[in-house]
Amino acid sequence: MLQQALVAVFVLAAAVFTSWKLMPARWRLRSLLGIDAWAAKHPQLGGWRERALKPRIARAGGIGCDGCAANTPRPPRSPR
Amino acid sequence: MDAAVSTLPLRLALVGVPNCGKTALFNRLTGSRQKVANYPGVTVERREGERTASDGRTLRVLDLPGTYSLKPTTLDEAITRDVLLGRVADAPAPDLVICVVDAVHLPIGLRLALEVKRVGLPMVLALNRMDVARRRGVKIDVARLSAELGVPVLPTVAVKRGGADALIEAIEPTRWPAARSVVAGQVAAQVTTNGRDPRGEDAEQTQADLRGVLSAIGYSPPVENHWAARVDALLLHPLAGILVLGVVMFLIFQAVFSWAAPLMDGIDSGMAALGGWVKAHMSEGPMASLLADGVIAGAGAVLVFLPQIVILFFFILVLEDSGYLPRAAYLLDRLMGWVGLSGRAFIPLLSSHACAIPGVMATRTIPSWRDRLTTIMVAPLMTCSARLPVYGLLIAAFIPREAIGPFNLQGLVLFALYAAGIVSSFAVAFVMKQFAGTRRYSPLMLELPDFQWPNLPNLLLGLWERVRIFVSRVGGIILALMILLWVLAAYPEPPPGATGPAIQYSFAGKLGALLQQLFEPIGFNWQISIALVPGLAAREVAVGALGTVYAMSATGDDLTAQLEPVIASGWSLATACSLLAWYVFAPQCLSTLAVVKRETNSWRYPIIMAGYLFALAYLAAFVTYRAVAAWS
Repeated sequence: MLQQALVAVFVLAAAVFTSWKLMPARWRLRSLLGIDAWAAKHPQLGGWRERALKPRIARAGGIGCDGCAANTPRPPRSPR
Repeated sequence: MDAAVSTLPLRLALVGVPNCGKTALFNRLTGSRQKVANYPGVTVERREGERTASDGRTLRVLDLPGTYSLKPTTLDEAITRDVLLGRVADAPAPDLVICVVDAVHLPIGLRLALEVKRVGLPMVLALNRMDVARRRGVKIDVARLSAELGVPVLPTVAVKRGGADALIEAIEPTRWPAARSVVAGQVAAQVTTNGRDPRGEDAEQTQADLRGVLSAIGYSPPVENHWAARVDALLLHPLAGILVLGVVMFLIFQAVFSWAAPLMDGIDSGMAALGGWVKAHMSEGPMASLLADGVIAGAGAVLVFLPQIVILFFFILVLEDSGYLPRAAYLLDRLMGWVGLSGRAFIPLLSSHACAIPGVMATRTIPSWRDRLTTIMVAPLMTCSARLPVYGLLIAAFIPREAIGPFNLQGLVLFALYAAGIVSSFAVAFVMKQFAGTRRYSPLMLELPDFQWPNLPNLLLGLWERVRIFVSRVGGIILALMILLWVLAAYPEPPPGATGPAIQYSFAGKLGALLQQLFEPIGFNWQISIALVPGLAAREVAVGALGTVYAMSATGDDLTAQLEPVIASGWSLATACSLLAWYVFAPQCLSTLAVVKRETNSWRYPIIMAGYLFALAYLAAFVTYRAVAAWS
């Protein structure tokens, strides 16, 4: 029973992840903007919005090299 | 200036001629890891990164495509001009322009700097590659150059740690009051009202200004490198050069198989042992099956090919960094022109060997729309790294590990498959040329970069990026698809009293039986037919899917069997060759089609592309299957 429950969780997660990755870029951007609009109404999510959501929205705006995880700009570890 | 304005992020733009080191400086300034190579045209769109100034302000750094002039001839050059002139809707004109000039080839970069200066934006000039310039006897009076241009001039060596420290100091907002005191809107207004549109400038006047500045700073050109000239005489020779290119490519594919074999065997055995361990130590049930048959057999089957990908990209990066690739472009220009491709198509087609997506985007450097479209349409025929696992699996299973003279037979076959991709792309371009009618050939104008030893940190970084991308794909989309495929292959469970493998009664089994009718004429069994479906997401997924499907099909002692021996004993040679032929053409990558739609702004071309590639794949697989079956 426990095995079946775990499998169900993994399969659900895989289905959501695959749908997200394979959906057209425009739909993904629209979904992110929808989540952003919802998060804007909840001040307690402000940190998460800035840290995680905004960079994703910026990346989702493009495709190919723009949207590729390999091209994520990383700030220097410490300001010079 | 009020407080609100002083906290606005400053926008900095890196501008310069192609291959002067803008992206290396961008990486140095922002800590990014954008691709850097020793040939022009690597950056084809604006990229943005950030750094924090010592006063806490955010500096937004834009890396713009290289251009020789603000009078653009290609799409990527137009991006640079439009950003500088504040014509891009979501990107106001920069607060500060960092004009990057290659000190070794000062006049060509300085000419652009004079044009950029006329735009009227605050500017600093980064005199890059100063170390090489000094070694080659270039004389530049930096202080005098700064006085002549009326802007700060900072010597830099972008590829060396600390090589951009002077520039970093100079772009601190506290050192740059002019930029700090101007808000973005005012800069845009300044460009419109004060700055003249540089397209209207007299080219002869710019040239005269350039001569004046060069004379004032006591410029002396670099001493000719006789060693490089002799190497160029060989590499650019119409016959010897082609021969060298063929030998270089041939040796690379030999190394891919010869060097990778022990590492691949190690990973393969590790995965098989892990799968066996999971089955032995977990109680029988869906979770054990998911882990062993879905995750380990599926994702593990793809991970095995990591050593081949690392070795292939090691050589590609070495060739990129050394400056050899533009010479290869020069050599192939005439041939490419003959088949209807622009010489400028070389770099996009070369990029397509890593992935068709950057290749399609790199076609922006091609000025003619027809040439660009032809290049886009044939780019997916180049053998991308996602095909390597498919080729690697089939070659290892069906081609014996033996030598023909000094050569590895498996490496020879891999070389032939890569060559098949190139030859077929040329053939398709030739056919497209016939449909498009006679065109004027646009010759390749390419600045040959200096030879240089590959930069080791750059090389390691490039390799690390390839490893990271591959492993994250295996751990991301491939893993997720394998889990979903496992569900389709495991459910519904077989009815009581069923004798065959459980997968035959599952959704996947039924789908495979249905698809097999379509693919039977080209020799594909139901397992291959199933694997082609998730393989639409990305080509290498098909290998993982085969791993899962065969693991689910296995019974009794075969449960932990590895994929390679299973297909070697289960498939005919004709089926294997047919699948190889299929993968030379099949456009099984939705992302590539999406990028083609974006780059052509139309659904028409991706639909045509998918249609003609599927038709070619089916035809090639059919002919191959029939021919090999008749012969064997």
